[in-house]
Amino acid sequence: MTELTGYRRANGTWGVRNHLLVLPARTAANRAAEEIADAVEGAVAVTHEWEGAPGDPDAELVARTLTGFAANPNVGAVLLVGIDDADRALAGAIAGRGQTVHLVAMAEHGGTAGTVAAGREIAERLRAAIADWPREPMPISALAVGLECGGSDALSGITANPALGIASDRLVAAGATTMLSEVPELVGAEEILAARAVSDEVARRMVAVVHDFERAVEALGVDIRGAQPTPGNIDGGLTTIEEKSLGAAKKAGNAPLTGVIEFAAPGPPDPPGLYVMDTPGHDIEQMVGLVAGGCQIVAFTTGRGTPTGSAIAPCLKISTNTAIFERMAGDIDLDAGRILTGEETLQSMGDRIHDALLAVANGETTASERRGNREFAIRRTHY
Amino acid sequence: MTGHPRPDGRFGVRDHVLVLPSVVCSTNAAERIARESGAVAITHQHGCLHVGDDLRHTERALIGTATNPNVGAVVVVSLGCETIQGRRLARRIEDRGQRVAFVGIQAEGGTERAVAAGVAAVGELRAVLDAIPPEPLPAAAVTVGIDRPRDPLAPALTAALAGRGWAVVDAPGDLSAAESHVALAAAGAQVIVSLRGPGEAPLGFAVCPVIAVARDPALYAALRDDFDLPDEDAERTVADVVARVDATLAGEPTASERRGARDFVLRRLAMTM
Repeated sequence: MTELTGYRRANGTWGVRNHLLVLPARTAANRAAEEIADAVEGAVAVTHEWEGAPGDPDAELVARTLTGFAANPNVGAVLLVGIDDADRALAGAIAGRGQTVHLVAMAEHGGTAGTVAAGREIAERLRAAIADWPREPMPISALAVGLECGGSDALSGITANPALGIASDRLVAAGATTMLSEVPELVGAEEILAARAVSDEVARRMVAVVHDFERAVEALGVDIRGAQPTPGNIDGGLTTIEEKSLGAAKKAGNAPLTGVIEFAAPGPPDPPGLYVMDTPGHDIEQMVGLVAGGCQIVAFTTGRGTPTGSAIAPCLKISTNTAIFERMAGDIDLDAGRILTGEETLQSMGDRIHDALLAVANGETTASERRGNREFAIRRTHY
Repeated sequence: MTGHPRPDGRFGVRDHVLVLPSVVCSTNAAERIARESGAVAITHQHGCLHVGDDLRHTERALIGTATNPNVGAVVVVSLGCETIQGRRLARRIEDRGQRVAFVGIQAEGGTERAVAAGVAAVGELRAVLDAIPPEPLPAAAVTVGIDRPRDPLAPALTAALAGRGWAVVDAPGDLSAAESHVALAAAGAQVIVSLRGPGEAPLGFAVCPVIAVARDPALYAALRDDFDLPDEDAERTVADVVARVDATLAGEPTASERRGARDFVLRRLAMTM
């Protein structure tokens, strides 16, 4: 077993990266946050579409998402770029999770230019303060890995997803946490997961989270088949959402289902184990939810090929077929298409993914990290 | 005063090549293309797993932004498997008379090749635009957007702007400022006048100069660098806005353009699937 190392945080969590995150509290701070991160070596920024209008019914969900993202243990310190005093609440919530956070408010610096100048100085200081944070031996129980698929094809449920399931089972057996997500892509697979639940209550919640989604879709009066499967899924040979779901659920292997948690639930969950997080199928909204829930790494299978990455969490990409791996070599890390050619078995590929996840935890970079991918999206539920 | 003539008879007061991701998954590639080529990109979090009205509304917003007269040409950057298919989006933008190039990450074979193709496409489109001489800008070809029609200043401002022979368009009152900027751009406004009340920091938009007017003295004092105009008495403010629109039409950058703000916020009409 590979020994894990990571960054031990003051609040008891463990990071596998040591980022300085420059986070805009609201849309109007996007530009300043980007400029600060561009100017400071080792700083990363995300931008987003949250304006923070007073009375917005999604305020709590968005606050939880931004707070969780900032509190992810891969982040050593946060520079929150706000507008005015109204943003102190978010800074307080991040600090309340045991994260180091400094708020720079645009209204105290005359606007963007002054904020960038002041923010750069603070960011340099924060960066210097975390730069020498040592890597120490890290317990595997502190590791949480998100299980995601995007741009699925007919091979997803045959190669990459079951291989990732084997890796997930090994991680869970060793005491780590893995998180399956994308509830719309579990429609039709809910009973399979519920049957593995550790309790009747968890089984009930597993079924309920899928049925609640189905009822919400009915209430909208729309046909989910307009969006699921996507045009790319259909080109890739998938025919129905149920077929997609049965393949998507394979990412969770055969481990017992320990719990069902809400979007961006403050993590990591206790006890460790396999969890289902209630997220949309949207690749980026769910990735942000998983990372905000404490996942330090996201394992991401893809049939059609996608460059997706997070600003603060390595995203390990696994292709379902060799053709896309070769076409998009710079964006994908591992090729589970080798199972089809007989070069690998499901078990050997699962072991390979498992080992790659531990290597990534220990500092090996993924394709999306080398490319600097940092897609970000905020889930909205009120319209 | 000159403008950039467009094939459909409209005029741009800016001459952007817009790099437009069809989906959030291609935003990083789009940003890199813009950075490496000097074009402007929109960063957004949409394009996949929309249903019903939400799908139609999002597609319309992207097409509307891409066909704003300040945009001389568009490079659509697609992933390939997304709900709002990039090729179809490019075709629909082209159907509106816009110059369009298409780059697909899956089609090209990965981010690096897509970025290279996108940078080359911007270069070709830029050369086409640069070869078209500016022409005198008729007042009737100018549309000014106002993002807050319920502001008490709006009626007098509308009258003064219309008095110059410009068309004036305002946004539905239930939209937030950033959402309304997308709507105004889609409606063809070349310049947006943004009226900002207490606690509302100024915003920018990728393809339209935004003239930010403080409607609160404390707000102006706190964020003056990001404002174009302070909070004054109504008569003075109206006259100043008209003068500032004149200067903007003549090419003077607004505060939002100077700082490179390009906030793109789209209202969702249904949950993401």
